[in-house]
Amino acid sequence: MKHLIKKSLITSAVTALLLGGSVAYGAGMDVPTIKVTPVLEGLESPWDMNVRSDGTMFFTEKCNGLSVRSPDGKVNKIYGMKGSSGYSSSGADLFCEGQAGMMGVAADRHFDQNRQLYVASTSNKYHGSGCKTNFERCDGNIVMRLTLSEDLKKVVDRTDIVKDIQYKPFESDQPFGGPGAHNGGRLRVGPGGYLWIAGGDRHRGVCPQSSTLLCGKVLRVDTDGNAHPENNPPEGFDKRIYTYGHRNVQGIDFRPSDGKAFTAEHGPWHSDEITALVNGGNAGWDPQQNTAGRDECPDEYCGYTPNQMDGMDPAIRAAHMPMSDTRFDDLMPPTWNNNGFSQGTSSAAFLKGENWGIYEGRLATGVLGIGFGGTPIGQRVDIVSITPDGLGINGITHMPLGFSKRFRGLVLAPDNSLYVAVDEGEIFQVTATSNK
Amino acid sequence: MSKHAGSMTLALILGLSNSAIASDAIVGDAAAGEERFHQSCHACHGPAGKGAASYPKVSGNPIEYTREKLKAYREGQKFGPNSSLMIMMAKPLSDEEIENLSVYLKDAQYK
Repeated sequence: MKHLIKKSLITSAVTALLLGGSVAYGAGMDVPTIKVTPVLEGLESPWDMNVRSDGTMFFTEKCNGLSVRSPDGKVNKIYGMKGSSGYSSSGADLFCEGQAGMMGVAADRHFDQNRQLYVASTSNKYHGSGCKTNFERCDGNIVMRLTLSEDLKKVVDRTDIVKDIQYKPFESDQPFGGPGAHNGGRLRVGPGGYLWIAGGDRHRGVCPQSSTLLCGKVLRVDTDGNAHPENNPPEGFDKRIYTYGHRNVQGIDFRPSDGKAFTAEHGPWHSDEITALVNGGNAGWDPQQNTAGRDECPDEYCGYTPNQMDGMDPAIRAAHMPMSDTRFDDLMPPTWNNNGFSQGTSSAAFLKGENWGIYEGRLATGVLGIGFGGTPIGQRVDIVSITPDGLGINGITHMPLGFSKRFRGLVLAPDNSLYVAVDEGEIFQVTATSNK
Repeated sequence: MSKHAGSMTLALILGLSNSAIASDAIVGDAAAGEERFHQSCHACHGPAGKGAASYPKVSGNPIEYTREKLKAYREGQKFGPNSSLMIMMAKPLSDEEIENLSVYLKDAQYK
């Protein structure tokens, strides 16, 4: 490392001398050159990707299923959902509705040996009789472990390792009130090969602070779906829970320097947040009615109060219905708040590698863009420099991509390029080249 | 810019008053509609109204369909689970803006 830095400095110095003594542009601050290359287009709501070292890319489309793009660019449809076509096989229980469908995809750390992928999806297989109203538990989100054939084009085995994450089955009296709301769905394999599952509150007031419901939680489980032995949720909680009190987490990744988990989370018309997770901690979201000074709320969910249907000052909203309520002793204070706005933070990925120059180690965070009630739409990818303690930021730069879209899925590839999926139906590869 | 000019000429020929024209003879301007679309609709419904994520496709419909839907939302009518959002977004739209959007969205295509 030291050798490389020295070499870069020497290169810069030589360049400066060749330029007649002037200091070359960027010699003091390595702002990398960013290049964007389209990878796929014409997709339907691409949601998440996993990229292998040879360039093979697995990706999900929310209402279609799981596919693979080979390094030669050919796409094979591996595992579809009910009603999809062209897939090698499909799950008749898998469906999409509103914000829910086939979502996160992650590869086992030993994928090259076992060809196992983990995929989050909405499923009716475990509904039982628990989905007759929005006020029942309705286990409608699962995580599947899929074993692929050697050519990576078919599923040869499916095991549902988590079967009881709650789903919203019916419309309710809220903005974005359709079925499938606040469904989380991001998956990542973290340190030690454990699987992290990011969830949403599915518009049910009791979810985030519930000790038994998995909605509004971040789970940490092994590859069979069992709780990590060191998870430390409060007494009486489901042991699979790593953190609770979440609203709708669609971004999660691990800081390269220390493995610490950070989430990116949508706010309720105010306060998108990035949060440094603490084992057993509370993200502080509690939209229950008759709680914390609030009265009864539409369909027992106070998440959009005090004014569901009109724009109002985000600060007034935040005072009434905080995203991170300080009344909780175990609160994990947010690392970053989106200047009080909710613009729809989605996926997040730490930038690794010296090719990212001064951005190395920073958190790339996708923002979908939501422009209601006077909020600027704000579609962008932020590059967030987080303080070492994880409790604040040093600054934010917008990634210079040259376009604004609904940035849904971000993941770093083994070659340290960033893959970006947008709701408009495209996947891009973003490469960075150091200028040292 | 809405295209009142043609209607106005016709009205003069027919001897109608301007007030009669304004109420029922606005001709939508696709370019103005596209500009308004980018201000308020693009972020959710995607480029050219092709639909994105859980937000439906809104292009390719007859002008009358889009016009009536937007007017109904503007009046506070609900049609589905995301009506609250559309009611909020449609509330500030003028008749002229609705006409412009309706004309633009009829033929809008994502290239």
